[in-house]
Amino acid sequence: MTGTTDNQQWTRQEMERGWPLDPVPEGKQVLMRIRDLNKRFGPRHILRGIDLDIYKGETLVILGGSGSGKTTLIRHILGFLVADAGSVKVGELDLNLATAAELEHYRKRLGVVFQMAALLNSLTVLENVGLPLIEVDHLPLDQVRTRVIAALKAVFLPAEEILQLKPASLSGGMRKRVGIARAIVQKPEIILYDEPTTGLDPVTVNGVNELTLEIQRTMGVTSIVITHDLSAAFMIADRIAMLYKGRLIAVGTKDQIRANPHPVLQQMLTGSTTGPLTEGYGK
Amino acid sequence: MTPDQQQKALEVSRTTTFAGFAKEAGVRVVGNTGKGILERAQVAGRACLLFYQAMGYLSQAGRAYPMILKQIEFIGFGSLVVLSLISGLTGMIMAVQMGATLEDYGALNTLGGLISVTFCRELGPIWAAVIILARVGSAMAAELGTMAVNEEVDALRSMSIDPVRYLVMPRIIALIIAMPILTLIADFVGILGGAMISSATFGITVSSFFESATDSQFLAYSDVIGGLVKSVFFACLIGTIACDQGLHTSDGAEGVGKSTTRTVVLSVIFVLLMDLFLTTFVQLAMKRVF
Repeated sequence: MTGTTDNQQWTRQEMERGWPLDPVPEGKQVLMRIRDLNKRFGPRHILRGIDLDIYKGETLVILGGSGSGKTTLIRHILGFLVADAGSVKVGELDLNLATAAELEHYRKRLGVVFQMAALLNSLTVLENVGLPLIEVDHLPLDQVRTRVIAALKAVFLPAEEILQLKPASLSGGMRKRVGIARAIVQKPEIILYDEPTTGLDPVTVNGVNELTLEIQRTMGVTSIVITHDLSAAFMIADRIAMLYKGRLIAVGTKDQIRANPHPVLQQMLTGSTTGPLTEGYGK
Repeated sequence: MTPDQQQKALEVSRTTTFAGFAKEAGVRVVGNTGKGILERAQVAGRACLLFYQAMGYLSQAGRAYPMILKQIEFIGFGSLVVLSLISGLTGMIMAVQMGATLEDYGALNTLGGLISVTFCRELGPIWAAVIILARVGSAMAAELGTMAVNEEVDALRSMSIDPVRYLVMPRIIALIIAMPILTLIADFVGILGGAMISSATFGITVSSFFESATDSQFLAYSDVIGGLVKSVFFACLIGTIACDQGLHTSDGAEGVGKSTTRTVVLSVIFVLLMDLFLTTFVQLAMKRVF
């Protein structure tokens, strides 16, 4: 199978070739180093030698189609999975070799926004957002309440009105915002967004994207966004990395990604139904 | 013959000749049995590890008391009516069945003692365990399973909250507290049911029934304590199996259903196996002590 762009024929080997690691630009500080990351589940080779630097304070969007390895990559970044080979290093901490206590400490620096918000249905909004403050930081309840209200206001929610509501009585967009409020309530250094706009209407999608940018601006966090939503990617990203069949096939700024002739990227950008991404599909 | 032809001939012999079919079926049966045993051993080992980890957080039980109280309310009050109904009816049925035989031998005065010893040693703890595993164990597995497939368990881990401390430990502690109380209630209601039906059917007064029921010739302290000890073991077993199955749920709603079913099946099997072990060894040992 080959892919075609205007003036180039791509072989399968060329299409699946991993992107070489870019030199660190001047003035940028590397927060996370991912080197030759490999993961297999049985016979399926999900991640095949990922090399990526994530810079402090940037918004990196990891794009990819279904089954490209996005979720597996984020689970490695969270320290939920141990790599078969390679490493994920945050500063001097190698997540593969970290002890439970080190991982616990590392996760305190992280905020995670899950695909479906992952709010605990048995708890109120106050308890959900305040959960890490109560269970991890052991803060007194009045302080928890103050911090929760501040976090809810930061994501433009009517804090006082929804504090005692359960997640089931909130709309999808509000649940997502509550999820973001929970992610920022501990003032993390890194925020991971796992497909944050999936299942939302276009207006709410824009709202969530603007909120991501606003958090980036006001808190100066490093954001890693996993998505297959192209418009969201181009709206919020400083850099975009494209995953295809477990390999990073392109990493660059928005303009570099737009100009990249790789057939997979071009198919993703144009939304064409024919090309390497849909290879083997029913047509 | 080329390698391709050889392979094709092998395929044909495998699917068309009886010897080929029998060989393949035999290999499949042995393979599946071995795989099944290994998988169950793995689940048992994982559950033991989960229980050990949960008990490691025992010192933090004080902080989890709201969750423990909530679980005790769900386990205890929610199960009380069903358990009382079943124990009372069992006591009544036993009284009718045993009373008829004892009447033939002129030994009706021993009916209270026989029913009380049967309940305290065996039926009280077993009924409590069966009701709890069916009602509470399945609900726990379904709740934790739903949390697992909705990424709520991952969300806890991402916040540095160990799901074993936050979800598993309070549930096991609540079961350990509630089960002996439910067992005592099952014992009492079962004996009371027996007394009521004995009074109505055989004319034994409730006071003489209870006199026989508490006669030290039949019922010893070791019987009551042994039953309560059993109930604590059953609580640990049911809580651990339910939480383990719940936390390891995958594949959406179908997976939740499977986890719930597996929890009930595994709990019934292991409760009965543990009952056999405890009855044989622990209860005999306690009889020597008391």
